[in-house]
Amino acid sequence: MKCPRCVQKIHRAASSCPHCGFTLADADAHFGEGEVRLRCLTDAAGLLRRGQREQVEMAMERITRRFPQLFVAVYTGSLGEMANMRQFGFWLLNRAAFEDVPAHKPNEAGILLTIDAESKSASITFGYLLDAFLEESDTFESLSRAHSYWLEGKYAAGIVRTLKHLDGVLAKRCRQARRDPDRFGRKVLPPPNMGDLLRRIRAGHRLESGETEVRK
Amino acid sequence: MKRWAMGGCMVVFAGIALANIEPPLPTWNGDERTLLEAEGWVAGGSLLAVDPPVPEDSPAAAVSPELDVAQPTAEEVAEADLPGSVIPEKFLPLYFGERPQEFLVDPQGLLSEVDYRNRLEFLKDHSADSSIDLFVYVFGGEQDIPSDVRAEELIERFFSSGRPAAMVYYYLGAPQRSVMYLSPSLTEGVPVAEQRRALQSSVMMAFEKLDPVEQLEAFSVQMSIRIYWMERMLGGQVVTDDLPEMNRMEEVGEAAPVKKSREQWLEEILKVLDPLLMPVALTSLSVVIAFSASWWLNRRRRYRFPEFDVEPRLGGNHAAGIGAVISFASATLPPASQRDQVPDYLRRA
Repeated sequence: MKCPRCVQKIHRAASSCPHCGFTLADADAHFGEGEVRLRCLTDAAGLLRRGQREQVEMAMERITRRFPQLFVAVYTGSLGEMANMRQFGFWLLNRAAFEDVPAHKPNEAGILLTIDAESKSASITFGYLLDAFLEESDTFESLSRAHSYWLEGKYAAGIVRTLKHLDGVLAKRCRQARRDPDRFGRKVLPPPNMGDLLRRIRAGHRLESGETEVRK
Repeated sequence: MKRWAMGGCMVVFAGIALANIEPPLPTWNGDERTLLEAEGWVAGGSLLAVDPPVPEDSPAAAVSPELDVAQPTAEEVAEADLPGSVIPEKFLPLYFGERPQEFLVDPQGLLSEVDYRNRLEFLKDHSADSSIDLFVYVFGGEQDIPSDVRAEELIERFFSSGRPAAMVYYYLGAPQRSVMYLSPSLTEGVPVAEQRRALQSSVMMAFEKLDPVEQLEAFSVQMSIRIYWMERMLGGQVVTDDLPEMNRMEEVGEAAPVKKSREQWLEEILKVLDPLLMPVALTSLSVVIAFSASWWLNRRRRYRFPEFDVEPRLGGNHAAGIGAVISFASATLPPASQRDQVPDYLRRA
């Protein structure tokens, strides 16, 4: 778990980044506070042609079909020089209202692929449902599959490749989670309550002193 | 170094000059010459005379060999004048009575048993490798085939069916008399000029040997090679029918392995595979069905993740899962160099 701004590791349930103090409010200040209504495939940068849109939609649909809990959204746009891909992805997935996603699928189940046509960069952001299952390296590998296509301007093919690889990663993680759910559960356990910890330490001290008395 | 080289050269040249000096020629002693001329010696006479004069008192003149040899009779002289001898009549049916059972036909036993076996073995090997058989009829070098035996008729009668064949009349010790005929299925495809060239080159190869048997060997080897080229010329259009005679030889167990046609091979393979065909087909079908079913099930498979309670982070109610960012602005910045994720502002800087 990393901060979208400083990319430093943060602990679970951190209300703000302990390194740079980043919160969603900072992103809101940058991109806006209101709800953003958009469709799962939003090609604001106009990178995809009609036939290519269908290819991308089919790849998105495939993941949605195989993973009924999840949905995939693809956003292409020009974020400008000041934009930060991670912060934008983080902000969009929290503020977006996807019109073509069923109501029973909250954004926690979303995977957002963002492509900035101006800075020529792409990122993946995912909701809390996949927090325990997806690693940064998984998303990096998926994006790497598209690198050569995007270099040549074949955006649709790159997106399809990315989603295809992501599909495989998700299936693998799902199988692993079925075999050993605790392994993944531990990743998102709530942080230990400091009060409880102190109580246990004190109890230990008392026990030690009691034992000492018995020995005496 | 140069001085050593020059010294070596001088020694070599001096050696060559010394070697070129010829010994002096002998000179006549005047007395000896006068004495010899008085005895009747003529200078250079031995070179000019056809037979040097033999002195009457020499030992060679004393012995006059009067050999008591009987003069040849008129019949013998007449026989010697004949160009060749006719093949004895008793061998004619063995030569020309039927299609030969072996590739080497020598009913007269002109070849020794070992030579016959060796040559026959070679012709069998040729037949195994080629789709055109080579039949060699061996005759004596002076023998003539009776005029009533017509080779064309024999070819038509014996070689118009069955495997294509080349038939050669070979005269032992006289390869130049050899004659070649092709079976009717080949005559259209192989030009006469090519046949003549094949025969000539085989004869030439035979003439490189002195021994008649070795000549036959060289001849048949070269003819086999030329038949291979004929085969190439025909481009695999050689018709190979069933050959009852050859099959019979196979049954006996001493015949050459006959090259089979593609259809025959297919038939034999099908015969062998016939009992296995159904099980193999069923197994293949079940494997295909299993793979298809697996693929179909995998395609229809639905994955469900276990759901955990996750505390919201950074004020985000839905998501804070920050994945990777990749730049594709330049081909010089491959994904491998972007594995260590850094803040975007650092990347842009």
